[in-house]
Amino acid sequence: MSIYLPIAEISINIFLLISLGGVIGFLSGMFGLGGGFLMTPMLIFIGIPTNVAVATSANQIVAASVSGTLGHWRQGLVDIKMGIILVSGGILGSFVGVSIFDYLSDIGQIDAVISVLYFVLLFSIGSLMLIESSQVIRDRIRKKTVKKKLHYHNWAHRLPFKTKFYTSKLYISVIPPIIIGFVIGILSGTMGIGGSFILIPAMIYFLGMPTSKVIGTSLFQIIFITAVVTLLHATTTFALDAVLAVILIISSVVGAQIGVITANKLRGEDLRALLAIIVLVVAAQIAAELFIQPDDLFNFSHMANYK
Amino acid sequence: MNFKSFSIIGLIYFSLISISSSLVIGSDENEILIDANFSGKDLLVFGAFYADPSQPREKKGDILIEVVGPKEDIVLRKKESFFGFWLNSESVRFKDVPSFYYLSSTSELKDSFFKENSIGLLETSQFPELNWSLITTDWGSVSSYDEKQEFFEALIRNKSYENVFKKTSDEIEILDGNLFKTNIPIPNTVPVGVYDVNLYLILNNEISKDYSYNFTVKRIGIENLIYNFANSFPLIYGFTSLIIALIIGWISADLFRRFRKA
Repeated sequence: MSIYLPIAEISINIFLLISLGGVIGFLSGMFGLGGGFLMTPMLIFIGIPTNVAVATSANQIVAASVSGTLGHWRQGLVDIKMGIILVSGGILGSFVGVSIFDYLSDIGQIDAVISVLYFVLLFSIGSLMLIESSQVIRDRIRKKTVKKKLHYHNWAHRLPFKTKFYTSKLYISVIPPIIIGFVIGILSGTMGIGGSFILIPAMIYFLGMPTSKVIGTSLFQIIFITAVVTLLHATTTFALDAVLAVILIISSVVGAQIGVITANKLRGEDLRALLAIIVLVVAAQIAAELFIQPDDLFNFSHMANYK
Repeated sequence: MNFKSFSIIGLIYFSLISISSSLVIGSDENEILIDANFSGKDLLVFGAFYADPSQPREKKGDILIEVVGPKEDIVLRKKESFFGFWLNSESVRFKDVPSFYYLSSTSELKDSFFKENSIGLLETSQFPELNWSLITTDWGSVSSYDEKQEFFEALIRNKSYENVFKKTSDEIEILDGNLFKTNIPIPNTVPVGVYDVNLYLILNNEISKDYSYNFTVKRIGIENLIYNFANSFPLIYGFTSLIIALIIGWISADLFRRFRKA
């Protein structure tokens, strides 16, 4: 049974969309990630136009991160002050991101740029995760215990405009979180992702936030960034497909809950190794499209689609 | 409908007084509706033709059916390799290109026929000047004749991949010598608007009779509502999508928390 998507202007099998949303929701619940970095390339892969895929993914991530934030909030694991500072940088970044997206659409390079960005992103994340998780698995097999440093002191502690973050037990400058938020906002606007996989390591290593507070805070900030990105795409690129969004949202939140339950039964490092392999496979798929000569060198688009 | 039935009666009447040949159309589909389940449609075109009865059956003439969709503006881009990456480079803008073009005949017609009667869009390699004059083209940085030709051919090739440009000469069924019937596949990617259907009866390489009508492709129901809403009130549309996302996210978190506690 197929369903006609009014903005994408194509009809597509509804069960394909439901299973895509379910699987990506499952993965995001299992690994604690937003899933946008898998959702956007997969939507493009099944034939959704790039602009619709980016705009609609952002909307789907809003739902996923609201659902996730509530769980962390109830346990007091969200640093609201840090979240708001990240959001203020992020909103500026998302305006820049959507403008970049609009400009690239106009000159016809949006597909290529998105592919290159996704390839770089997925390849580096996949490799890092695979290296890290295989080391942990190796240490586990050798029965080694690794000592972790508790607190990091770096340049983030020496900048002006210092302020106290009580929830995170930090006293640092507001400049690094604004910059981090800004960069995530740009990525979110151009790629339709939440950016938690960049945000989480950045908060741990650059800001020195405690790991327990990081996931909830990053989810909290992603709600706002992806909400702004959704609105900007709805009003500037007209590419937000509400029908597609609703199907993906419902299937992904159900998938995410099943993912959370499954994750509790497996070891973290095994999960990460598994995700790393999935991410690398998607990266290889994107690379093939970029580097292998296309069957037809020509491609067309409708001008009205972008304006 | 009344006007159409009237015109069909008119045609039949007309065919009685002109004994040499006639063409009557029985198709009455004048709307294709895009709803949530739309996945393309076969347009049925049928009718009767009456050619010179003194001739043997295979010489009774040919039927040619042309379907032309609403005009659209297209950017055609060519990919080139930059340090191993395949990126879009040169681009050409075509204005007023038919979004859908279908040409079907009972037998293969000569190129000269299409040229003389200014019918056809798929004959560019033989007749670069044919009908392309109707299309405004912004060539950008493309200048050489060969390169322009390459872009023309690529436009038609890419449109053919999407099944929106097609030329065929073996899809019209002839029943009982005088009745014809064909199904024209309208894919789910076609835009909304008015589509012209032109039918010709061809005798001795010349148009003997012709008949034209049109049908409209339109969105209906929720598909139409969402599309119009998204384009007329983008901000409200964006907020509505957001609120739906917030509500579903909230409900799911709550629902599953209770579910796990129970």
